[in-house]
Amino acid sequence: MEWFFRNIEFIQGLAITHLSISLLSLLAGTFIALLIAPALSPRSSEIIAGLLNGIYAIPSLALFVALPAIIGTSYIGPTNVFIALTVYVAATMFPSVRDALGQVPPAVLVISSAQGLSKWQTLFHVKFPLAIPGIVAGLRVASASTISMASIGAVVGVKNLGFLFLDGFQRKIPEEIVTGILTIFIIALLFDISLWLLGAIFTPWRRKKALHA
Amino acid sequence: MLNFNDLWIWFSDTETWEGRYGLWNLLAEHVSLTFVALFAAGIIAIPLGLVIGHFRKGETYVVAISSVSRAVPTMGLLFAMVLFLGVESRNLAVYIALGAIAFPPLLAGTYSGLIAIPNSTVDVARAQGMNELQIIWLVEIPLAVASILGGLRLAFVQVASTVTLAPLVGLGGLGFGIVQGLALRDFAQISGTALAVVLFTVLGDRLFAVAQKQRAFQV
Repeated sequence: MEWFFRNIEFIQGLAITHLSISLLSLLAGTFIALLIAPALSPRSSEIIAGLLNGIYAIPSLALFVALPAIIGTSYIGPTNVFIALTVYVAATMFPSVRDALGQVPPAVLVISSAQGLSKWQTLFHVKFPLAIPGIVAGLRVASASTISMASIGAVVGVKNLGFLFLDGFQRKIPEEIVTGILTIFIIALLFDISLWLLGAIFTPWRRKKALHA
Repeated sequence: MLNFNDLWIWFSDTETWEGRYGLWNLLAEHVSLTFVALFAAGIIAIPLGLVIGHFRKGETYVVAISSVSRAVPTMGLLFAMVLFLGVESRNLAVYIALGAIAFPPLLAGTYSGLIAIPNSTVDVARAQGMNELQIIWLVEIPLAVASILGGLRLAFVQVASTVTLAPLVGLGGLGFGIVQGLALRDFAQISGTALAVVLFTVLGDRLFAVAQKQRAFQV
């Protein structure tokens, strides 16, 4: 505890880097998934899902250092980590967005078109709102693993909370490593709670149903 | 950008493959670290999942363990274990950390395989005079194999990824080539080793996926 209070400003800086890289990757990856999932035909969506299915198996350190060879970025620094994390998020979010959109009952779609809604209106006003619980469930999984995985970025020189592991190990300060684990855990927990809350706020009809039941 | 000629030269060099820090030896270390940890976690997590799934007791713990574990950084767990148990017993420390990483997906996979079995199936087995052990062994395990393999697959991916970090705590494994390459700024070594790591994990993941599909029963 003493170590934590003595270094609180340093930890704050690391946490801000950690938070921003995780948040940016989550936003970018989810945006990509939301963009491509509704646009694809069932067949091409199957092919994409098959390709993305293998991506989560790639160890993050290997992806961080393989990207420079593929796209020509620098070996050290946050760009690779951001791109790699975005790819992981998109790979996690694509199937959950696709399944959530696919689970909208056909009857609802028939009603929506009978009421004169266009294809886009159906997507934005009917399909997406009904898919929110499924998308939020996917986001909660993606956010926890992204925040935990971001720490490995420290190996390639991103000064985030993962730095506490490397530094604490080299200087043999157990408190430093424990601080890193706990801070990352708390950030992941806060993200999880906020996502759950956001999901509840944007689906008020689900709350009403629960009240009446 | 990486010159592919350099990568080719690196791969065709016999020194890349042989010796203490050659790819073959590092791969062997990688495989043994991964599978010993999976085995150790499996002999505890699978029976526990069977008991919880069969008697439907302690389910809240399974859900809690698997959701909490997702937010724990595996890298921190690895480093903390080695520092706490001391550098002399770092082998044991790494196995404990990797086992802890493999534990939740194995437990959840076994448990969810068992609860997916319709109650009527278990009741029929009981009506035919099977005792609880026979029900677990002859009915529930065969029906849950696909789900257990699914848990094993997730555990494999997570453990194999974390093993890549083992050289940072003084052990071997394929990650050594990445860590050394980063220190020496040897880009061919970094990319070549990264390729080997990706091949190993993706191939393992595919093999588990095929096994999982083959053992999937239609209930």
